Amino acid sequence: MTAITVEKAVVAADHLPIWDDPHEALYKQVTIELDKCDGCKLCTVVCPANLLELYGPKDNLKVRLKADVTGCMSCNNCYAVCASRGVYATEPYDFAGFYEQKNIGPFEFPRRF
Amino acid sequence: MSDTLELDDLEELECELEAAETAHDRTLRRRAAALEIEPGADWNDVEHAMLTRRSIRKFKGRQVPAHMIRRILEMGRFAPSQGNCQPWSFIVVRDKAMIAQMEAYCVAVCQGMTASVDYTNYPEGSEQRAAILANTQALNRASPNSFHPVPMTAIKSIANGRFAVFHRAPTVILILMDKRGVGVPAIDVGCVGSNIVLGAQSIGLGTCWIGFSKLLSSNTELCEKLGIEEPFELAEAISVGYPIGNPTQQTISRQTHQITWWENGEKQILY
Repeated sequence: MTAITVEKAVVAADHLPIWDDPHEALYKQVTIELDKCDGCKLCTVVCPANLLELYGPKDNLKVRLKADVTGCMSCNNCYAVCASRGVYATEPYDFAGFYEQKNIGPFEFPRRF
Repeated sequence: MSDTLELDDLEELECELEAAETAHDRTLRRRAAALEIEPGADWNDVEHAMLTRRSIRKFKGRQVPAHMIRRILEMGRFAPSQGNCQPWSFIVVRDKAMIAQMEAYCVAVCQGMTASVDYTNYPEGSEQRAAILANTQALNRASPNSFHPVPMTAIKSIANGRFAVFHRAPTVILILMDKRGVGVPAIDVGCVGSNIVLGAQSIGLGTCWIGFSKLLSSNTELCEKLGIEEPFELAEAISVGYPIGNPTQQTISRQTHQITWWENGEKQILY
């Protein structure tokens, strides 16, 4: 499952985003590598936005995003607890207009300088 | 200096002092050398604690021993502050009934807030939706930080009961700010909290900053019961407990932020 790509709306800098419009409030969704997921449920428990749920038969549970729920803040707590490193976010959330993120670069792991 | 050399008492004392001083200097030199790191060196313990610290929102039911809470509060007490004014004070709540009362009040406030600002409760094109949207946008303008879309999502979750304000933590630390502090006391309170959460991380405790604790300030009765008195005001709360799972097993990736780097009269943009 990959992140859903939506193009950001082009609006004036002082425009206040309409939160339920996916063009104005881009909550990035997580990537889940299903072959790595062992259905341990930890990510569904730690997600602050309560976005993840388990599905499938009892002996082969997998995690997925809940339908019609948004709010992923790319905190990556799901990755931090995942023993098999199969669930992660790689892009920040963003908004159009007033709350647009500025001076943000790509995701990086801690770098040893 | 030879062992056979005869010294009077004073000379002997001077020599002893000199010897002690050089030993001390040697220790300092050795420490300084150990702190000098090569490029790309491994993380030290402090760096490791900073990099693996996560906000914990799911705690084990087991209470944290009191001495561990006292220990992390000591970390907070040694935080830097402007003019060393130390404009803080702590309230530790380990009483289940008290935490439940705090939680119930915050939930009630969030339910009231969603009713007046959540336009998504009404169908598109309806009059109510337009009216509430106008209200929300006015509040946005007046207080763009409090009505940022992210806390709005959290307020909705709290109102629906999907999200607990204090995350059902066994211990909640309330940090009070002395309003008369030097300069910007809110920054000093931030330093205290930062020390507390990193100290907790280093001894295996999970913490989460609770910004919604601010809502408690509007309940004078509860504030009085908790012991929040002038000139102190509630600044922040930190939930503490044993985390579920192993959130510190690996570091995560985070977005990079622009660094404007001035050196030798040149400006560079780094990430």
